[in-house]
Amino acid sequence: MAQSEQNTGFLTPQRAVKSGRMKEALVEKKLLVTPGEELGDASEVKAGKGAYLAPHRNTVYASLNGLASFVPPPLDSPDQRHTVEVSGHKAYGAVPEPGSVVIARVTKVMARTASADIMCVGPKSVREKFTGIIRQQDVRATEIDKVDMHSSFRPALTYLLAKLSLGDARAYYLSTAKNELGVVSAESTAGATMVPVSWTEMQCPLTGQTEQRKVAKVGS
Amino acid sequence: MEYVNPEGIREDGRRPLEMRHLHAEIGTVARADGSAVFEMGNTKVIAAVYGPREVQNRSQQLNDQALVRCEYTMPNFSTGDRMRKPKGDRRSTEISLVIRQTMEACILTHLMPRSQIDIFVQVLSADGGTRSACINAATLALADAGIPMRDLVTSCSAGYLNSTPLLDLSYFEDSAGGPDVTVGILPKLDKVTLLQMDARLPIDIFENVVQLATEGCKAVANYIHEVLLENTKQLEYRRGL
Repeated sequence: MAQSEQNTGFLTPQRAVKSGRMKEALVEKKLLVTPGEELGDASEVKAGKGAYLAPHRNTVYASLNGLASFVPPPLDSPDQRHTVEVSGHKAYGAVPEPGSVVIARVTKVMARTASADIMCVGPKSVREKFTGIIRQQDVRATEIDKVDMHSSFRPALTYLLAKLSLGDARAYYLSTAKNELGVVSAESTAGATMVPVSWTEMQCPLTGQTEQRKVAKVGS
Repeated sequence: MEYVNPEGIREDGRRPLEMRHLHAEIGTVARADGSAVFEMGNTKVIAAVYGPREVQNRSQQLNDQALVRCEYTMPNFSTGDRMRKPKGDRRSTEISLVIRQTMEACILTHLMPRSQIDIFVQVLSADGGTRSACINAATLALADAGIPMRDLVTSCSAGYLNSTPLLDLSYFEDSAGGPDVTVGILPKLDKVTLLQMDARLPIDIFENVVQLATEGCKAVANYIHEVLLENTKQLEYRRGL
């Protein structure tokens, strides 16, 4: 079959199986799939991201539209099957998962809580923001009843790393009660990005003023 | 009233087992996460998908899966006589529910708990088979948005007039008052997710008509498959691979 210059070497599972080049196409990431296409038998491959295992049929199918590829198994695992993944061009936006570390932007600071918009879950950004709440007792690990919310966070373009938990009906709960969690980037009243000085203070490079925040210990 | 003339030609010049011309485009609504336009003959619908995003009405939030919402509207200009109410009337509410149930059966909702997926389908031009066109457009829009699905969902209608099973009824044929069977399937997994019928049919003819509609669904599935593959190839080409 003649292939135009633009579509060099992309195969669909039908053509690949016919010409016996299924495995080769998967390894080279040239297999184009749409949702519902068969990617392999459950005894030979595992379902990774973008693929799923049908419960009754023992076959792995694609669930996204894109290119399928093989991921080799880690050398020491007992299960030596390859993992099949499908990567589309638009991955659906991340959904907050309890226990994950998120990047959130502080929107409101009140007497005992602060509310923040969750922008990224892990390394992936969300399409539309989710709301989270940081309670007074979740700001830090020690002396939790003596926390002053206004000395820990300010709404001005403040980004923080926090750990997510399910929360109540209204919002997710965020916790910064660890050394490596807290404010990572904040803007001072003068408008410059502040530099962290200690775990409670950040300094503005323009005016030299220090402002109080619960700072995250990032990096080695 | 003659819907199939003695030579076996229908009112719009098609043969009984012939589908109308299909045309689809992906990514037409830039603001949406996924969108598509689907045409079956003169019926043209546009679908836009938003999600997964935070559930707006917290009381409806599901802890273990995503909430799927669907809204079907027909603007005033979509039909021959100007429509009075674009949405909220009984027919639109019923079709919204039907599309929602059909799509919910195929989206892997357990991967996106406590979130919401919105599917908005709007009929731009109605000439029979709007329900099927909406399901096909919604499938394309969901695939464009990258939302994981078990399989593509395709749909087609079929009827029985002048003792002949007819595939893909137009509005003229649909308004004859004869049976109108709409079938929605998962083509690769070979499963039926939607089966609706108006009027009545003897059971053996019913089987024929459903079989015919299923064949139509498979033809739509081939077309949608080609459209998605072509779209991916174009994106890969632009990426420079």
